[in-house]
Amino acid sequence: MGAVAITLDYDAELMLRVKEGDGGSFAILLEKHRASVVHFVYRLVQEQAIAEELSQEVFLRVYRSRSGYEPTAKFKTWLFRIATHLALNWLRDEKHERSQERLDDVTADLPARQVSDRRPSVEQELVYEVRLEEIRRAIAGLPEKQRAAVLMHKYEEMEYTQIAKVLGCSESAVKSLLFRAYETLRARLAHMEPS
Amino acid sequence: MNCPTASHNPELLVALAAGELSLDRAQEMERHLAECPPCRIAAAEQAAVWRALDAWDAPPVSVDFNRRLYSRIDQGAGLSWLQRLAHAFRSMPLRQALPLSATACLLLMAGLIAYNPIHPVPAAPNGNIVRANQVERTLDDIELLRQFNSAGSAESAHPDAM
Repeated sequence: MGAVAITLDYDAELMLRVKEGDGGSFAILLEKHRASVVHFVYRLVQEQAIAEELSQEVFLRVYRSRSGYEPTAKFKTWLFRIATHLALNWLRDEKHERSQERLDDVTADLPARQVSDRRPSVEQELVYEVRLEEIRRAIAGLPEKQRAAVLMHKYEEMEYTQIAKVLGCSESAVKSLLFRAYETLRARLAHMEPS
Repeated sequence: MNCPTASHNPELLVALAAGELSLDRAQEMERHLAECPPCRIAAAEQAAVWRALDAWDAPPVSVDFNRRLYSRIDQGAGLSWLQRLAHAFRSMPLRQALPLSATACLLLMAGLIAYNPIHPVPAAPNGNIVRANQVERTLDDIELLRQFNSAGSAESAHPDAM
């Protein structure tokens, strides 16, 4: 917890320097949080180009709102609030349906690739791809808020209170979201054995 | 400890799989799992989900991510407020942009109406006065001309009167 508090202070301090016009501090914040934001958005929207575009918008909004920044919450919470808002908005848009169609196309391609090459390494690769596809579909099948909560909890190791602030709900609501999500994932993914 | 499965509280099972429990709590949980088959099954399934999710790596971020971002920041710095507004709408989904655009247009029209009313502009009161004076003066001139003419004709009729 102490380490988290130090991180908070440091990020907030950096952002306050950005507010004063220090571009170098913005570069440090970008370097520190870029990968986690892009990966989080990628796992939400499941399309790399869109994930990077939306992540750029996240950092652009952070930069543009620097003059009004007040360190009322953890910097990462604020950052992920913007990221979640943008990604969920995108998911609600028509583009989501189009990406799902593309996802279906990818899955339809898999058996053909399996037949074309039977070398063990390729088989392993295919097994991995199929498993990955199953995981992606299981995550994509979750309701939006459950999906965002699981991704923040599992991959960003964020605390319940932090996730609650990002999603704008209570801590108990986050726990409920998470446990329902994990229950669904258990039903869909528990049969998977480690490769 | 309360049985997580019986109490419908999976928090401990999730925390165990996530490695969030302290050593004491984890050992206590392990002891409980040894005695409770439903919790053991649930914990094994949760651990399997955790491992499955571990396998999902996100692709690396593009090497030109920063360059593209700073380029957008630089572009934004040189934009007028109108261009920024246009940019904000461009990056917005159509479903959101349309109602916002309509609202913005309505507000703009309301503003224009407030500052430039559409109803006919009443003529200035001074304008009426000027016109009345001009009419009066013209009538006077006509009357004067008529008197002058009548005087002239009387003069020509009776030259001795001069």
